[in-house]
Amino acid sequence: MPQHIKRLIGVFAVFILFFLVLQQVLKPDSFGELGHFRAKAIYENSLRPMHYTVADSCTKCHKDIRIDKDLGFHIKLKCEVCHGPALAHSLYAGNFKDKELPDSLTLYKPGERKDCAICHELNAARIKIQFDTLNTTMVHQIDVLTHHPFDPKTKVPFKCIECHNPHQP
Amino acid sequence: MNDETTKLSRRDFFKTGTVLAGGVALATASLIPYDGLLFASEAPGAKGKWYGIGIDINKCIGCGKCANACKIENNVPRDPFYFRSWVEQYTIKNDGAILVESPNGGIDGFKQAAPTADIYKSFFVPKMCNHCAKSPCTQVCPVGATFETEEGIVLVDEEYCIGCRYCVQACPYGCRYIHPEKGTVDKCTLCFHRLKKGLQPACFEICPTEARIFGDLNDPHSKINYFLKNHTCMVVKPHLNTGSKLFYNALSPEVR
Ligand code: HEC
Ligand code: HEC
Ligand code: HEC
Ligand code: HEC
Repeated sequence: MPQHIKRLIGVFAVFILFFLVLQQVLKPDSFGELGHFRAKAIYENSLRPMHYTVADSCTKCHKDIRIDKDLGFHIKLKCEVCHGPALAHSLYAGNFKDKELPDSLTLYKPGERKDCAICHELNAARIKIQFDTLNTTMVHQIDVLTHHPFDPKTKVPFKCIECHNPHQP
Repeated sequence: MNDETTKLSRRDFFKTGTVLAGGVALATASLIPYDGLLFASEAPGAKGKWYGIGIDINKCIGCGKCANACKIENNVPRDPFYFRSWVEQYTIKNDGAILVESPNGGIDGFKQAAPTADIYKSFFVPKMCNHCAKSPCTQVCPVGATFETEEGIVLVDEEYCIGCRYCVQACPYGCRYIHPEKGTVDKCTLCFHRLKKGLQPACFEICPTEARIFGDLNDPHSKINYFLKNHTCMVVKPHLNTGSKLFYNALSPEVR
């Protein structure tokens, strides 16, 4: 074997060794256990905080409203669709019976016209035909501008919830 | 060039030729042809859960509550350019023009795009990460900061991401963005933190018309398998062969 090849082999061996050591030092732990990524990242991803709870958790304290809702057209709507994320509320509001709720636990009460319009405003894209015979979905639509906009006598603008109970419309 | 190396005897030519041809034939035989139904039934070689998503366009009323819930649950910036999940309104007019709009991802509701007399058809398409089984986005990551879990969920390793934006470019569905504060990429995790507690992802939890269905494709009795059996479902951009696991019922060919 020529002399220069031998030297080259030596140099390469040193380089490769150096690289392997560097790789061991720089590689984060748990990398490569399940694939080309840090296996710990899966666990870290599961640690994020929650904000929404589950539909049934309101029933414990607001049974009457749940019963009302389940008898009406809004049966499929979850409470959090209208009231917003309520995990903290459903965990801690029990301590404030017959007291003012602190700001962090009060929930949004969507009483404005635009809150209902988000689902009920007239729009050609909303479904009007029954496609699915198993589960019917069609949302009744109204023209928010002309559907009882204000009191005919006093001319005061109406809110939807003055005529419709939001929990049992 | 040296004459000796370029001259090839007839025997040598056949020898190397046969070896090469045989090698190519062997290599192609060992490739598995793509089976479109593979990902709808079970994970390639995986046991346990294999999550899939179904969206029924016929049921979506475009309230945008899913997009809103997603932002709150996952602390996505409120600015109208960052979305993990959003809703688009498609309007196809009588003259063939296609209007697509998504004002603030649909969070503030939609306005009808054209007068009713001009509209041939119109519908809402909720969009989110397809959690592809052969994700183009995970393949391009230079550092291994994004990956598919055994359950078929595509996740991002925030600690390890270098913010190079390759995956943002690679995703054919536009489901990734760079988080303005963290500087790393962010995407739908199918609410992995809720899944691990046995709950539904926030957008599925909140949907008022049950247009979103989610479940385990490996479980023959799951909601998603019932949905797939009873509807003619389609994925977006099937020609890209991404192994997408987001199945739409009543998907129009205009949707892209
Ligand atoms: C641990 C018991 C408990 C649970 C669970 C609970 N609440 Fe409450 N909630 C309360 C109490 C106590 C109040 C305040 C007293 C009152 O006004 O009745 C309240 C008040 C409210 C209010 C009115 C707030 C206001 O500003 O007047 C809303 C809306 C509400 N709850 C919604 C919900 C929803 C939605 C859920 C389910 C996610 C839920 N609650 C779960 C105990 C509970
Ligand atoms: C369609 C949207 C909608 C849904 C769904 C809904 N709410 Fe409400 N809720 C409202 C509105 C609007 C108000 C405000 C009523 C008012 O100001 O008189 C309200 C008020 C309340 C209040 C305050 C008490 C009161 O009567 O003023 C409570 C408690 C409450 N809701 C609980 C619930 C619970 C529990 C559910 C689920 C079972 C639920 N809501 C579902 C819209 C909704
Ligand atoms: C998240 C979407 C959503 C919101 C917000 C919402 N609704 Fe509804 N509403 C529905 C759905 C879905 C139905 C059931 C389908 C149907 O019958 O139209 C319904 C049904 C109704 C009906 C019965 C229609 C009928 O005669 O069959 C009325 C009335 C109604 N809602 C009023 C309201 C009012 C008032 C508000 C505002 C407090 C409101 N809705 C907010 C989704 C919504
Ligand atoms: C002055 C009282 C009043 C107000 C305010 C009012 N409604 Fe109504 N609404 C009615 C009455 C009465 C009906 C049933 C008769 C009808 O179809 O017009 C009705 C019917 C409906 C229906 C069912 C329509 C159908 O096709 O069956 C919906 C949906 C509805 N209202 C939503 C709303 C919304 C959303 C608002 C707020 C923007 C609102 N309403 C405000 C009185 C009211």
